[in-house]
Amino acid sequence: MNSIPAIELHSLTVSYDNKPALWNTDYTLPEGVLAGIIGPNGSGKSTMLKAMMGLVQPASGYVKLFGQPLDAVRQRVAYVPQRSSVDWDFPVTVLDVVLMGRYRPGNLFRRSSAHDRELAMECIRKVQLEPFVGRQIARLSGGQQQRVFIARALAQQADLYLLDEPFAGVDAATEAAIMDLLREMRSQGRTVVVVHHDLQSVAEYFEWLVMVNTRLVAAGPVADVFTADKLQQTYGGSLSILSQVGELVRQQAHPVRETPRPPMP
Amino acid sequence: MTDPNVLWVLGGVVLMSISAAAVGSFTLLQKRALIGDAVAHAILPGICLAFLLSGGKHPLVLLAGAAATGWLGLVTVEYLTRHTRLKGDAALGLTLSVYYGAGALLLTSIQRSGAGAQAGLDKFLFGKAAAMVREDVLLFAGLSAAVLIVLAWIYKPLTAVIFDRNFALTAGLPVRRLEQALSLLTVFIIALGIQAVGAVLMAALLITPAAAARYWTHDLRRMLVLACGFAAVSAAAGAWISYLLPRMPTGPWVVLALTLTAGISIAAGSDRGLAAAWQRRRQNRRKIDRENLLKCLYQLGEADGQPEAMRLHSEIAARRDMPPARLRAALHALRGEGLLRQEAGRAGLTRAGAAAGSRVTRLHRLWELYLTTHLDLPPDHVHEEAEAIEHILTPEIEAALESKLNFPSLDPHNSPIPAKRTLP
Repeated sequence: MNSIPAIELHSLTVSYDNKPALWNTDYTLPEGVLAGIIGPNGSGKSTMLKAMMGLVQPASGYVKLFGQPLDAVRQRVAYVPQRSSVDWDFPVTVLDVVLMGRYRPGNLFRRSSAHDRELAMECIRKVQLEPFVGRQIARLSGGQQQRVFIARALAQQADLYLLDEPFAGVDAATEAAIMDLLREMRSQGRTVVVVHHDLQSVAEYFEWLVMVNTRLVAAGPVADVFTADKLQQTYGGSLSILSQVGELVRQQAHPVRETPRPPMP
Repeated sequence: MTDPNVLWVLGGVVLMSISAAAVGSFTLLQKRALIGDAVAHAILPGICLAFLLSGGKHPLVLLAGAAATGWLGLVTVEYLTRHTRLKGDAALGLTLSVYYGAGALLLTSIQRSGAGAQAGLDKFLFGKAAAMVREDVLLFAGLSAAVLIVLAWIYKPLTAVIFDRNFALTAGLPVRRLEQALSLLTVFIIALGIQAVGAVLMAALLITPAAAARYWTHDLRRMLVLACGFAAVSAAAGAWISYLLPRMPTGPWVVLALTLTAGISIAAGSDRGLAAAWQRRRQNRRKIDRENLLKCLYQLGEADGQPEAMRLHSEIAARRDMPPARLRAALHALRGEGLLRQEAGRAGLTRAGAAAGSRVTRLHRLWELYLTTHLDLPPDHVHEEAEAIEHILTPEIEAALESKLNFPSLDPHNSPIPAKRTLP
């Protein structure tokens, strides 16, 4: 395992509409692990991924991936958004979407190369969607749509994969197939981080776990942190004071830091 | 048609409409269909100001003025949506009316001053393509073609941005610049088109072809081709009519032709049109009728142990309430499929028909059992639902149901579940 962590969050605070969704979060995640992020609804799991991918601006703190800011390692990171975040009625085919995983600032204004097409086809085979290559994405089941998203991420050939609830609304067979893929990726040395909902499968799926409820409850090997005590802190009601303060901050348009956003060192 | 100018104008309007339809397809997919309307209205004060400042109506000068306030209108909408509590629709409505009001004010004062009649600026309200001279047409056609070329150039990344903006951002695509490019093209094509169809109706030229095309296809490339085709035909028709009837403005006729296209598409579109939906419903109903008939004959046979016996139509009708015309149609269709034998007033299943009837019965009873054992519904509540579901269960679901129910032999009403047969 490399000494440089795949992910480092430093004092990360993110606000929506001035209400903090994630408070003062610090942790590092080693390279080459299959990790889960768990927490109740609205606890900042998705926000954490979005902050890592630069989709939301932190109110304070910073994120480093492979020891560098995102822009320096962008091609090494792939993001799978929640399936519900796009309009699946959009008139494109499975192949069209997966090919988007090959889009780079350098090839945007050219036809996709034969090599990119081959690679996209290979990724489509990996998620077992070969019979649906030319199918309009609107005519796929939920599980198939999720696999299209995963194939697009595979086509990016990244070292770090961030997946936002890939098992939401997916049948058991698809979940098992996706999980096999993720394990295979991990065994090839990739780092995989999954926002997850189902506590029952945590111990079986992941070796590393991040537990979050607007603040970080714990981050570490599953064996160390997946305990009754930590679960109570994550899902119990003990954070009501924090959410009350968050609501106050929003109502009074109060800053969460006296000096916003210090520069990244 | 002796005037050679006619063909030039016709060509120019058609080319402009094609570009507008292509640009409009993307704004429609972006779910910003109304932005074109706001821009079209925001253009009016720009044209008036350009006229007042330059003292003439050189097309390039007017175009520059139009593009300037059009862009300003767009920026206003985005600013209002982003930095105030106003939602998108309110921001659009506000911008549209304020700019248009300012434009109408300027236009009135120009006409009062007496310069307006000579300027003919009022044609910008409803458009008058016929008034364009050949040099203008060449310029406008050239610029429309340029819009189309730029759009083709950014097609690939623009599609990715519109489909999944967040993903495009994370992949390092120049999202903001692509969105700005589309906005610029929108402003530009509207500024061009306003001469031909006017401020009030320009939005229709942008959106209607794309909306109509969506009823025919689920493929972006085909949708673009269709939208451009609809726009071209409608524009040609509109421009032609405004020539034949000299006092007629072009815009309303183009829009009328477009609306007709959209109407036909909504009714007859092959992908999601009303006729296609009706056809699907009818096919489903017929399939249900046929399967119900098979099931009915099979169950009559279950009662007397003669599944392939000939039975009177009245005996069938007594068990299965179905309008006579639909019964006849179903009998006819089943005979055509070789599942039924018919002779005067009587019908009976063939061997294949009995197998098909046993499958429907089997699915019905499997589903009833599933509802009672796995969803805890009382046995007297499951029949109605099974009546509908029996027609859509696939062989895969059938197999899954069977193994989940541990290969049962009786349904909740103690009727036997027929064994699986290979359909001949």
